[in-house]
Amino acid sequence: MQRIRFPRVGANRALDLVNFFVADVQTGFGPFVAVYLTTHKWTQVEIGFALTLGTMTSLVGQLPAGALVDSMRNKRAAAAGALIGIIAAALLLALQPTQLPVLLAQMLHGFSSCVITPAIAAISLRMAGYAALGERLGRNARFSSIGNGLAAAVMGATGAYFSSQFVFFLTAALCVPALLALWSIGPGPHAREQTTCDVMDLSGLKRLLVDRRLLIFAICVMLFHLSNAAMLPLAGAAVTMRAGHLANIIIAACIVVPQAVVALFSPWVGRAAERIGRKKLLLLGWGALPLRGLLLAVLPGSWLLIAGQAVSGISAAVFGVLLPLLAADLTVGTSHFNLCMGILGLAMYLGAAVSTTMSGGVADAAGMDAAFFMLAGVGLVGFLVVWLAMPETRPTAIEISPATPG
Amino acid sequence: MQRSALVLGVLAAVLAGSVAQADEVPLPSAVQSVPPEDAEAILGQRVTDPDGAEIGRLVDVLVDANGQPQAAVIDFGGFMGVGNRKIAVHWGALRFTPRDPKRKIALDMTPDQIKAAPEFRNPNKAAAVVTPADPNASSP
Repeated sequence: MQRIRFPRVGANRALDLVNFFVADVQTGFGPFVAVYLTTHKWTQVEIGFALTLGTMTSLVGQLPAGALVDSMRNKRAAAAGALIGIIAAALLLALQPTQLPVLLAQMLHGFSSCVITPAIAAISLRMAGYAALGERLGRNARFSSIGNGLAAAVMGATGAYFSSQFVFFLTAALCVPALLALWSIGPGPHAREQTTCDVMDLSGLKRLLVDRRLLIFAICVMLFHLSNAAMLPLAGAAVTMRAGHLANIIIAACIVVPQAVVALFSPWVGRAAERIGRKKLLLLGWGALPLRGLLLAVLPGSWLLIAGQAVSGISAAVFGVLLPLLAADLTVGTSHFNLCMGILGLAMYLGAAVSTTMSGGVADAAGMDAAFFMLAGVGLVGFLVVWLAMPETRPTAIEISPATPG
Repeated sequence: MQRSALVLGVLAAVLAGSVAQADEVPLPSAVQSVPPEDAEAILGQRVTDPDGAEIGRLVDVLVDANGQPQAAVIDFGGFMGVGNRKIAVHWGALRFTPRDPKRKIALDMTPDQIKAAPEFRNPNKAAAVVTPADPNASSP
């Protein structure tokens, strides 16, 4: 009996570490690709193309990746495969910064990212069961944000001393503890009921898409990122325009402080979601977003913008916990959890992709404050949609009891 | 056999062509050796302030019809890819010292001048090239 009980405690800790190391790995990837390719004399147009290819792969890959993870009986193997894909992408970038390998690496990383997010959520679901999923997702979000914040602080502060090539070797190396942590979660009852028969279950997609709650939530997610994604880059631009030589320290705080808020706040979100339901928390998270936009627009100077950014920690914690939680709520009794994560991921990427272009256009035409007001307005629309249209999705005890692992 | 004859024919034609060209414009064939201390590759290089602190990277060069460099596009600052911006600075504001590995490219501009400079966005539109307020004062 003890052999079964001890690993369960350890399995939760191991999953914490998986979240931590995967966040580390993902933090390094994005920002350093541009710098790295610049040092290898890539032109701005070529760099833009490589980055866009990565984003497009993530966008197009969401649904196939979700369906793929659904069809794999062993979700740990799916996550491990994605990590190996990221190792390959990082090594390709570090060793061969020429056209074809870099484009291949970008696509490999884009697709691996599509797989690893739902796979970790699926492992969490099987480990905690529907009844305790909120608490488990709160822990996931906490350790991801600790990993993100720490990696951003360390890499940003020391990045100037290392070559960008070193960052990619480090990224590849950090996948190893992630794989070890994944392995030490143990086999557990990860998959059985969560596996589809076909690799591409189109009928499952149709079944999901007739669920009105999912469509409304997908719109909420899309509006969230339409408002959210451009705020940090815009705040960064505002800081560089207003602050002198301390600009980079303020920007660092604008990145790290929200992560600290998420780390402190998300376990509470996870527990509260089980207690008071999803809707009130959705209102809190989606409501914090327009508030943040307003604060960023009206706060003077550059140091105070950190306070505006700190508010984003509240919405990020709610979003990080409730996106997978609602995906689970909406797929109770089916095996389409990951496909549902893919649909929501697609909505997120679509919103984010338009957000930066849209806010850039407004900032050029009418100034930065107008862009913040516009983003706040979009956030407010998202809040209203949640308030007026989104139903409570917390499943009843009867719905979830058969799925709780014994 | 027929094929090799064809190849030979093509080869001969090419050779004749290149000889004819060589007659018209004599090409200098001497190879000059330029050591890295005398000429440096600048794309992607770090740009420093006059004291040697890194402030950005040179990402592009704008040249005029004669191929003379007019301005350099420099990607400034930022933390983890947030808050960086590109500014086109007048070529005269840059000082090149290939022999000094610490400050191969130095920019004679104060942080306030850099902060106030408009962003360089679209290479197909008129570029806002920033010139130091008094170029004479900054030249040695």
